[in-house]
Amino acid sequence: MGYTIIKKLAETKQTPKNSPNSETMDKRTIRFLKSRFQQYYKTAEISLPDHLPNREWAFILFDDLEDKIMRRHKSFGSPGEALDYLYGMAPAHVYNSTAYYEYPNAKKMNEKNWHGAELIFDLDADHLPDAPRNYAEMLENVKKETFKLMDFILDDFGFTENDIELVFSGGRGYHIHIPHPKVLTLGGSERREIVNYVSGRDLDFKYFFRDVAMDGEYGTGSKAFKGMKNVPTKCMLLGHDSGWGKRIARYLADYLKSESGKKYKKYMFPELRRHEKVGSTTVNKLLRIANSENGLNDILEHGRLDFDVRNFKEIASYFMQESSENFLQRFGASVDEPVTADTKRLIRVPGSLHGGSGMQVKKLALSELESFEPLRDTVVFGEKPVKVNVSKPFTVQLKGKDLRVEEGIQEVPEYAAVYLMCRGVAEYGYRRDQPNPL
Amino acid sequence: METEQLAYYPFVSEASAYVESLGVSLDSLLNSRAYRAARARGIERVKEALEGEIGKSSLNGEAQILSELLSYPFARMLVACIDDQLFTRRYALAEAKAAYTLLRTESPDFLLDFGEDFGISAEPRETHFSMHFTDYIRFSNSLKDPAWKLTNRQLRAGKVRVTREEFARLLQEAVRERIEQSFPIPEIPEEVSAFCAPHAAGIKEQFEVQKKKFGATDFGVVEPGLFPPCISHALANVQGGVNLAHSMRFAMTSFLLNVGMSVDEILNLFNVSPDFDAEKTLYQIEHIAGATGNEYKPPACETMRTYGNCVGKDGLCEKISHPLGYYERRVFLKNRDREKEEEKEEEKEKAGEKKNGEARKKGEGKVKEEGKEERKEEKSGKSPEKAE
Repeated sequence: MGYTIIKKLAETKQTPKNSPNSETMDKRTIRFLKSRFQQYYKTAEISLPDHLPNREWAFILFDDLEDKIMRRHKSFGSPGEALDYLYGMAPAHVYNSTAYYEYPNAKKMNEKNWHGAELIFDLDADHLPDAPRNYAEMLENVKKETFKLMDFILDDFGFTENDIELVFSGGRGYHIHIPHPKVLTLGGSERREIVNYVSGRDLDFKYFFRDVAMDGEYGTGSKAFKGMKNVPTKCMLLGHDSGWGKRIARYLADYLKSESGKKYKKYMFPELRRHEKVGSTTVNKLLRIANSENGLNDILEHGRLDFDVRNFKEIASYFMQESSENFLQRFGASVDEPVTADTKRLIRVPGSLHGGSGMQVKKLALSELESFEPLRDTVVFGEKPVKVNVSKPFTVQLKGKDLRVEEGIQEVPEYAAVYLMCRGVAEYGYRRDQPNPL
Repeated sequence: METEQLAYYPFVSEASAYVESLGVSLDSLLNSRAYRAARARGIERVKEALEGEIGKSSLNGEAQILSELLSYPFARMLVACIDDQLFTRRYALAEAKAAYTLLRTESPDFLLDFGEDFGISAEPRETHFSMHFTDYIRFSNSLKDPAWKLTNRQLRAGKVRVTREEFARLLQEAVRERIEQSFPIPEIPEEVSAFCAPHAAGIKEQFEVQKKKFGATDFGVVEPGLFPPCISHALANVQGGVNLAHSMRFAMTSFLLNVGMSVDEILNLFNVSPDFDAEKTLYQIEHIAGATGNEYKPPACETMRTYGNCVGKDGLCEKISHPLGYYERRVFLKNRDREKEEEKEEEKEKAGEKKNGEARKKGEGKVKEEGKEERKEEKSGKSPEKAE
């Protein structure tokens, strides 16, 4: 098995910032955590990846945390071998490759003979724009982001729930694995294009607004529509019911609706008024559409932007470009780009424990995501009291309870003890050179 | 496909199967008089590739079809003997372009069949094609126009909508990729390399001349004023004592090495901060320079962007995909401008010469230079000023 200094790996990010403060973690803490993890692995249901013999595995053992050594280039021929290893070694961190290799245990990457790799998305609280106040809120934000991404995966990319695997990372986010045959051999730059797609980067709205002939494939059969007579072309939103077109339609409809709901006309459509061609006539016309029975539906269901507003194509395109930051924040999904682009990534194994939190890396059904609460649903340890020495005051919600510990020696339930020790804020028991106050 | 079509598209699987079924031995392809036309056409293919595009005229009769068909494997052997990665790419591009010219005129059914050979599953719709987005990005990825970005496409349930013309353009990329990846040909028989050697040498020589003009390998004197914005920015930071991110330090160092700066010169650049660790820095630079047998190229723009290292993008950045490409282009433009300047100077001189009839020799030397420059000029769409 190879030894690699963790710092050198692209992987570093995944030994999260909340990883144990290894330099000070004492032997007894290590022994305690190892035994708890071992107990877990004795009966744990590990979700082994498909094509197991073709995956590379990597581990960071508790004993190696201090030296930051990752043991990698390991492979297992059968599920039993993998499970035996986990139970025997009780590692702090467990990863396997998203890639399938002919020789997963070859020491050099180019000797492994890459056959393909799952498509993965990593949603991490670190990468989201709004800094949340606490851990729970952070996890809530990243869940919202996951829902946005799921819309792209299911609707735009057309994958089904059976094609994907949704996993809570045990730390600050979610991983989505897609081992679909169509994606396996995509290279890094193609995968990057997929990230660009879900983030909406490079989106240029001019490709979505078109003047099209009144008759033809979009044909309304009418030469008079909303006051317009004998006009040969009309403005359409292309692909209004799918992909980015669908999101643009929603954004425009919502905008018309919210602006027209304002109390005073002079405050309506301030963004549009900045455009030189928009005056009160245009505003009046837009108002009429927003308030008419089918106005907004025509946008959402038919992509019709053929209002009696001259240059609407130009105005709409201008508006979307101006609002793009807000638009992308609402609809774009922020995923960690280097993770998706990397076709030889190591990723946490579902069912294993995250050594930086002691929480379970947990596979979820899509339907479970809404009500999933990581701080409740991934805590695997029990209530048995354990004595810990806390180095600094710390607050966290675990198993639905607010847990607040002060500096010093105290007893907490085992699940909390594991959490605190993994986070590096507590040590097991008390130091020998200190008197036992209890 | 009809055999005539196989001859037009000799890189499809059906064509290679057909050629195999003909049972033409290597020996007879190289030596038999029957295949003289095939060999000549094969050489022509490669030479035309050097010029940019391979012409394909209509084929009359079985003999012509057979020659055209066999000229392709012969051309490939020749390209393999030239054994230059850049040239292989040039050849693949020229074959692919020629294919696109023909594909544009083919029927939708033909295009769909053709696509299937490249693992592209598409379905015909009334006015367009619908293809899986993974197939789409495999081939759209190398195309720069923002209209090709997946984001700017209509995507529904995994399917992208493309016009027939766009589909043909994607097939061009597929052809290019297939041909490029079919090289290098493992173990070229002795007799083949012996046969190809004289032709290969000539083409290689011409290509070297072209390469020099494009400055593809040798940048000459390092000109920091022509660096792309990302590298200039990093340099400014280093000089200002600001710490660079790992990925940026790597990008900058490998860039500087690639444009011809020495390890010592780069070491000096970093030597600005009080806690400068010469030994460690030297180790890192030498590592990137290939001390461990792995020579690194700087990352492409895409990668720079991924790691947030793409700073201060300018107009030229839109046209290139690699920081080295930016520099290459600026160096080329500068050299061209300088030559133009020199020409003007000369013309002035010559205007004077008419009176006193001197310095003729120098002028002739210049004309040759200009002849070389001509092809590049065509590329950039302007006609060169001739010295005479």
